Amino acid sequence: MSENLISVNNVSVNFDYQENFISKKQKIHAVNNINIKIKKGSFFGLVGESGSGKTTLGRAILGANKISSGNVIFHDDERDYDLTNINKQDLKEYRKKAQLIFQDPYAALSPRMTVRDIIAEPLEVMRITNSRQETDDRVRDIASKCRLNIEHLRRFPHAFSGGQRQRISIARALVSNPKFIVADESVAALDVSIQADILNLLKQLQNELNLTYLFISHDLSVVAHVCDIVAVMYLGHIVEMAPSRKLFKNPKHSYTKALLSSIPSIDPENKSKAIELKGEIPSALNPPSGCVFRTRCPNPCDNCRNGNTEMGLIEVEPGHWVDQCCVNCN
Amino acid sequence: MSHLLEVKNLDVKFDTDEGRITAVENISLSLDQGKVLGIVGESGSGKSVTAKAIMQLNPSNTKYNDDAQIILDNENVLRFTSKDDLKKIRGGKVSMIFQEPMASFAPAIKIGAQMVEQLLIHKDINKNEAKEISINMLQRVGIADAEKRFNQYAFELSGGMRQRAMIAMALSTMPKLLLADEPTTALDVTIQAQVINLVKDIIQEYQMGVIFITHDLGVIAQIADDVAVMYLGSVVEKGPVNKILKNPKHPYTKGLLEALPDVNNLDAPLRPIPGNIPSPLDRPSACVFRTRCPNPCDNCRNGNTEMGLIEVEPGHWVDQCCINCG
Repeated sequence: MSENLISVNNVSVNFDYQENFISKKQKIHAVNNINIKIKKGSFFGLVGESGSGKTTLGRAILGANKISSGNVIFHDDERDYDLTNINKQDLKEYRKKAQLIFQDPYAALSPRMTVRDIIAEPLEVMRITNSRQETDDRVRDIASKCRLNIEHLRRFPHAFSGGQRQRISIARALVSNPKFIVADESVAALDVSIQADILNLLKQLQNELNLTYLFISHDLSVVAHVCDIVAVMYLGHIVEMAPSRKLFKNPKHSYTKALLSSIPSIDPENKSKAIELKGEIPSALNPPSGCVFRTRCPNPCDNCRNGNTEMGLIEVEPGHWVDQCCVNCN
Repeated sequence: MSHLLEVKNLDVKFDTDEGRITAVENISLSLDQGKVLGIVGESGSGKSVTAKAIMQLNPSNTKYNDDAQIILDNENVLRFTSKDDLKKIRGGKVSMIFQEPMASFAPAIKIGAQMVEQLLIHKDINKNEAKEISINMLQRVGIADAEKRFNQYAFELSGGMRQRAMIAMALSTMPKLLLADEPTTALDVTIQAQVINLVKDIIQEYQMGVIFITHDLGVIAQIADDVAVMYLGSVVEKGPVNKILKNPKHPYTKGLLEALPDVNNLDAPLRPIPGNIPSPLDRPSACVFRTRCPNPCDNCRNGNTEMGLIEVEPGHWVDQCCINCG
């Protein structure tokens, strides 16, 4: 039995793009040659700016995006699922075991369904339960685990606040008894006081239900707090990956350093200047050759500047992987 | 010296089908030239409503109380009724930048045309001069190829660049007061750092007053001189930024700080503020925070207290319920 739950091997995701019907077809390189292993019971964090491919990778692992090359393997207790050539029957099984929590709890819940119906829907669609009684029991069980008031199950989503709605989304994701959860910016739309509550709930549920998370976020301080392992993405590439403490204490890649220094400090006297990155993330339609970060790197070496380097993670310390361009550069 | 802006005893209420909603109750704030006042609070705390009251941008069902005053440059904005008077403040003396720059630009009009249009309304200049000012301003906020961008549409610009263009447009009329309503919330951290530095430089250069609304205490710590913490329409604590963040007195301010994940201390547990922010329709009587207060005294719990700020140390004001309580 493998200790990993998910293996992502050399995965790339490309999208076809055509500006208008007479122009040339182009490829958007959303995710490039990603290798990650997600251990059972871990809280795996994925950070990066918008446009870095975090969500695309998350969706590819769930089988919601087509994988252009490479493969994703889900190691279940009895057997492995290979998502690149999976048949319909297996995909249905896989969906019960891997679920998604969305970002915006205001958009993710249908305003015309009661909370009970929202949470029960996955059970009915996937035909997991056989009777209404059984469905109700499962709904009530998961709702109380997510600290929802059982008496409120007959209400509609508009009667709930943002934090409560996010708990409803979590209950819906967990009702089919999944093993793997992708939480895509699940606390980004919440106020800080509520955000802490949801993060604590996710942690607690992880222990109770033996869950494995892929936690996607652009907020480094949140990721630092909840995740065991963090991968930093930039323009479709992972540029650094390490246990979260190592990464935040001792970042190696210049992009990670810049990201960390950009978090505004809560101490008004600490006005240390952020390492300012010039410009913005380039378009994935024509990413820079060589190291993708070189156009914004604060101190690129000559090889980098001319695009003569090749990207790829190397292990600088046990468990701490950094893109080789940056290691060779400095 | 009189303040650039002084808000006194402001109540803002909305008449709706479900009854009269109190959005802001009895707040007083002041701001000097060249200073940044930060307003923090959760969603629904009345931050944006306060800012919009200064520009008189709240909808027509808004009711202000009679003794409220918003004094900008020695004139009470709340007494303005004619369109000409309002024009003077909207975009003239006061400019506003919003959270979502894509939603604030008209999608089918070129950026340049929108900038020129507002300059022609507020300044006595011709089109060519307006174009020159606009292009200069775009360069000033760090947009490369300003002349090319001037002739583009909002969708052709990236998020960070749109926010810069928004700032350039707000500044081109040389307002005395800039209202920034969550201007960095929709941006990535690296772009947020760029925008914060830009706003700081601009305040230095033009000596305007800025009200900076955000829910991010880190941003406040880096940019504001003074800060007001709002909860459910009331200011519960206000004062100089280092006093509020280093030595918070109100349990709500303390709660906000504890709920914030700190990168430098990964072992600290995350402590959420219990409960949810109540609906403005059933706003608690007396101290508004009592339903979520970690240790309310009996007087508070029964709603027998009255809110009002008292000065605990020079310049540091805290709601009195909490002082008497804790």
